[in-house]
Amino acid sequence: MINLKHILKLRSLPGATSCTSAFLKETLTAPACSRINASMISGFPTPMRRELCTEKKMPTVRYSDPAIREPLKAFGKYAGECLPKYIQSADVTIFDELEILIHPEGVLPVLSFLKDHHAGQFVNLSDICCVDVPSRQFRFEVVYNLLSLRYNCRARVKTYTDELTPLESCCSVFQAANWYEREVWDMFGVYFTNHPDLRRILTDYGFQGHPFRKDFPLVGYNEYRYDDEQKRVVIEPVELAQDFRKFEYSTPWEVFPNYRDADKNMRKEGGGDEK
Amino acid sequence: ASKAAGKLTTGLTGLAVNSTPHISLTALYDRTLKLLARMPADAKYRQSTEAIVKERLAAVNSEPDISRLEKRINCGQIEEVVQQAERELQLARNFLAWKPWEPLIGQAPPNQWKWPL
Repeated sequence: MINLKHILKLRSLPGATSCTSAFLKETLTAPACSRINASMISGFPTPMRRELCTEKKMPTVRYSDPAIREPLKAFGKYAGECLPKYIQSADVTIFDELEILIHPEGVLPVLSFLKDHHAGQFVNLSDICCVDVPSRQFRFEVVYNLLSLRYNCRARVKTYTDELTPLESCCSVFQAANWYEREVWDMFGVYFTNHPDLRRILTDYGFQGHPFRKDFPLVGYNEYRYDDEQKRVVIEPVELAQDFRKFEYSTPWEVFPNYRDADKNMRKEGGGDEK
Repeated sequence: ASKAAGKLTTGLTGLAVNSTPHISLTALYDRTLKLLARMPADAKYRQSTEAIVKERLAAVNSEPDISRLEKRINCGQIEEVVQQAERELQLARNFLAWKPWEPLIGQAPPNQWKWPL
């Protein structure tokens, strides 16, 4: 199932590069881009901003570019048809970026397809990162960012896992994955099976914990200092003997007038906190 | 085979000039087609890949001149085309084991992809 996310009134920018694959015989059967009411997307009752969507050019707004969007949508649809076993959905985000959401068993097949297939050729693995959302059942969202040099195209592949379930390492597909997966292991604790050398890469030897997890405190648990009596660096539990360290993180000014009732709606749906 | 008639270098590090690209390509494409024939006929991957491979095979068989073949295929140098064919062959082999045309093995939990929360 392919979801259509935010589609603004389209305006083509000068000098936009198109990234059509010469080998896609797909004809795009998705509906012509129609203006979608903001309330259809998020369920929040907001007035539709008609003025924003018309021909008035606003230089501070980044408009959607159909020349980039349409081929990405077509490729996402094509990938979904080739690998229905693993691809849960393939969307193009509001920023004209292709995101393919897959089942964790499908890491190797989907990445191999994107790299090896003629119409994909996403030979470059730009990044592997992880997002920790503790309220979800599978808290870690592992993201693979790919680049196709042949078609000047980027794609993103997202999977999910929790603390205990390992993912398959893609080092056999992309050599670059080696250090990226080590970083994800070190920072989040996501284990990768069949990795040639999965060990810590950024934390100190003997460091305990996974620092980028949301439940790991910003200042950590241990503090290092040089002790003059012992003439070496000692590790002690952290003590912030500093005053004025209580911060108000939310700004007094309203940032999102459209989402003024968002908190009320979320509490009504009971959103976000169920495991 | 002499390189005097063809090009001296591909310009790409690690990619050597292929003096008999037609032989390499026809061999790779034939093997790929044999592998694809073992997949179910309604699989989208099989249909599209067969179309691509047959198109390129037709180009290779009808065009003996290398530089004109490169222009006709329009996907970089002929050595890169050979690389793409090798990758597609490897992919077809792996797909026969993985069988990705089967229906979805599992949906994500209901709020897994919800953002903002």
